[in-house]
Amino acid sequence: MNEIPTMSAEQLGMSKYTRRQFLKFSGAATAATAASVLSMNDIAEAAITRPLPLGTPILVVVSLYGGNDGLNTVIPYQDTAYYSARPTLNYKPETLLPLTDGLALNASMTGIKSLWDVQKVAIVRGVGYPKPDRSHFSSMAIWQTGSPQTHLSTGWLGRWLDNQAVDPMMAISLGSVLPPLLAGAKQSGSALPLGGLAIPAGAIGKACLRLSAASQRDSKLSAAAATSMRNLFSVSGSVTPVLAQPAPLADDLPTVAGGNAGGDSNLTQQLNIVAKLIAAGAPTKVWSVSLGGFDTHANEANAQAALLGTVSSSISKFLSQMKASGRSKDITVMVYSEFGRRVKANGSDGTDHGTSGPMFLIGDRVQGGMYGDQPSLTKLIDGDLAVTTDFRDVYSSVIENVLQTPAEKVLGNWSGRVKAFKSA
Amino acid sequence: MDLKRLELARLYNRFGFGPRPGEFTQALKAGVAATKQSFLNPPLIDSGAVALPAVTDLGKRPEPNTPEIIIFARQLRSQNENIELWWLDQMVATNKPLQEKMVWFWHGHWATSIGKVNYAMPMLKQNETFRKYATGNFNEFAKAMFMDGAMQIWLDGGENTLKAPNENFSREMMELFVLGVNRYTETDVKELARAFTGYQVSRSSGVVVYNEKRRDMKSVTILGKSAVMSPDDAIAHLVSQPNCARFIAERIWYRFVSSQQPLPANHQMISAFAGREIAPVLSTLINGTDLVNPQYEIVKSPVEWFIGVCRALSLTPSKLDSFNKLHGYLEKLSQVPFSPPNVGGWPTDEAWLSSASAQFRIAFATWLVNQADLSTIEAQVPASRAAYLADLLAVVEWSPRTAFALREVRDVVPRLVILAICSPEYVVSA
Repeated sequence: MNEIPTMSAEQLGMSKYTRRQFLKFSGAATAATAASVLSMNDIAEAAITRPLPLGTPILVVVSLYGGNDGLNTVIPYQDTAYYSARPTLNYKPETLLPLTDGLALNASMTGIKSLWDVQKVAIVRGVGYPKPDRSHFSSMAIWQTGSPQTHLSTGWLGRWLDNQAVDPMMAISLGSVLPPLLAGAKQSGSALPLGGLAIPAGAIGKACLRLSAASQRDSKLSAAAATSMRNLFSVSGSVTPVLAQPAPLADDLPTVAGGNAGGDSNLTQQLNIVAKLIAAGAPTKVWSVSLGGFDTHANEANAQAALLGTVSSSISKFLSQMKASGRSKDITVMVYSEFGRRVKANGSDGTDHGTSGPMFLIGDRVQGGMYGDQPSLTKLIDGDLAVTTDFRDVYSSVIENVLQTPAEKVLGNWSGRVKAFKSA
Repeated sequence: MDLKRLELARLYNRFGFGPRPGEFTQALKAGVAATKQSFLNPPLIDSGAVALPAVTDLGKRPEPNTPEIIIFARQLRSQNENIELWWLDQMVATNKPLQEKMVWFWHGHWATSIGKVNYAMPMLKQNETFRKYATGNFNEFAKAMFMDGAMQIWLDGGENTLKAPNENFSREMMELFVLGVNRYTETDVKELARAFTGYQVSRSSGVVVYNEKRRDMKSVTILGKSAVMSPDDAIAHLVSQPNCARFIAERIWYRFVSSQQPLPANHQMISAFAGREIAPVLSTLINGTDLVNPQYEIVKSPVEWFIGVCRALSLTPSKLDSFNKLHGYLEKLSQVPFSPPNVGGWPTDEAWLSSASAQFRIAFATWLVNQADLSTIEAQVPASRAAYLADLLAVVEWSPRTAFALREVRDVVPRLVILAICSPEYVVSA
């Protein structure tokens, strides 16, 4: 309180600060870093004036919160064990959308089935990690940090971000809370609420810009608070015009019994905005969207079908919107959930927390088909499905093929891959 | 850093919802020890208490497309609004700040959302249970939470039967409420679910009843102990585990001290919880040395930030124009009382610091400041307004950056106040 304000803009950190200084004062990783000089204006300008070049691959991550029941998503409808494990929670074969290998999609997933028919959908079966954790929070943390054994405070895409030039537009999550997925040690993704951001205008805007300058006196969290406000100016500067139209109303809020394990509830609206922004040339390589409500402990069938229908229709609509932009060839959508569910239904016509589940990779760059082994319904491990594919196999392939970064930088020395992408 | 200011600011911002005008200056004079005593030994009766809203049992939802459904929907919405405003008002008006802060803490601990519960009545009853046990005996508290209607609805307790056990409640009881993750086995989860069978709940009133037909009467084995256990027996067994003391100390540490740094091993809070009484844990923490350790910073959650502003600027949530706007701002900042995002409660720290929340905070602050009487700030000479605001808001110190930003707008008081409450120094509890 007693200090006299220093008026030098440079000392205030208002005009420029080095990345090294930033790291030092944010308490983040102290590894040697490039001494590139950044300023607020550089970032804002880059966001507006350097649209993502056509042909740059874009990753859209769809997180399904609550633990999606994989067995009622990609359904082993020719396996009698499926019917005996779920006598009142199964689907009649004739209602399903048949794929290959005795598997069929949930009847509500017509959009994804059409994409499957044109070889744009890879289904990776039995995905999980060693020693499955049945807690929503631990398991989602494991998936998002990409680290089953040791607790990390960075997300797997956050570590990818750490290997990119600092740019608040590089990775954007829809919704106002940033998922750990995009938390990096040196930079994190930005959050974008539905409806977009508006820059505070006029005198208050100018005042807030002053208030958001970096200060060498900032603690780690104060620096993060200042940065979040500063990023508001750079992010909103480029996205507000795109979102000048009122955001579409959420038309897909399913009534769900049992949805209490995180995630947003308006996936269609989120993907609409992502589509607009990609079409406008936002310099963003990673988008994160989410849908909650998959924690179907009771009366699962209708609730899950409604949710899967939303996932399916919003993704197929999103990809068809992309055709007009000339960027549909650039996009890969990845869908996952923190765990699958118990094989045996629980008697309230729901299922309890389980282990592995299918992942979806969707897009022009994907080589459609089935990957990984389908976990057996008769050789269960303590009543649960085996894990046949480690999620790091999928992440590694996505990092290399979509984000074009050596997987080692994100996941360390991990050798497994899922060859679900066309060769370039 | 002025450690006296730091410790007092943390008392007000973390163990309460921020000071009222004059309180922080008064505390600086009275000293740290006396201020701690005032937090730990508040008056028996909360003279600021706001009367409970009238909430009635609305019964079953009528069929769609009937005249009854319109009346029902209107009443339901009004009751849900009323309990939200009542609690916000109560947080602002309370003269027992630590008690109220603990009610808020337990709401995030036993996180239950009206999004699934639907009815106001069970949610309000749950809030009264939080009040009853806020600083009381944890074993009694946990038993009461098993019989809590809103919780039973939230975690499918009524679906957990002899024929078809449902593990939702038993898993969270161990993972999130009493022991902490991985301090039990998957078998323990299944066994506890059996001990929890046989209870049904009325969704509209939250009344929980026992139904012997649904009860699994056989012996269960939980954490090495085999017996026929009632829910009370099973909970007492969980609460008696050493891990319970560790876990509750960890959660209090996480919300009041730091979510970035782990609870030090053998922290005194753990032994202070030996009798499973909550009050000694709090006094141990408050009387210890953690509050003067500058590394333990924490970001105020949106509700904490909002209530702090209301207390400092003498605003009453229910008198703001209007409920819908207020609710909208809280929703955009992702924190509405009675609506935690999931059973794990609200996130912490960086999760509240997105560019989106920065935008909404500025808009929210502008809306609030425009409704406040700023005459006492205007009465200060411009050169001393920043210092006055630091005391009003219990800010330890303004950084040179913020001091400069405030100085540039000090002649325009509303703008000055908006900046002060949106500053990193106010958003973060140093």
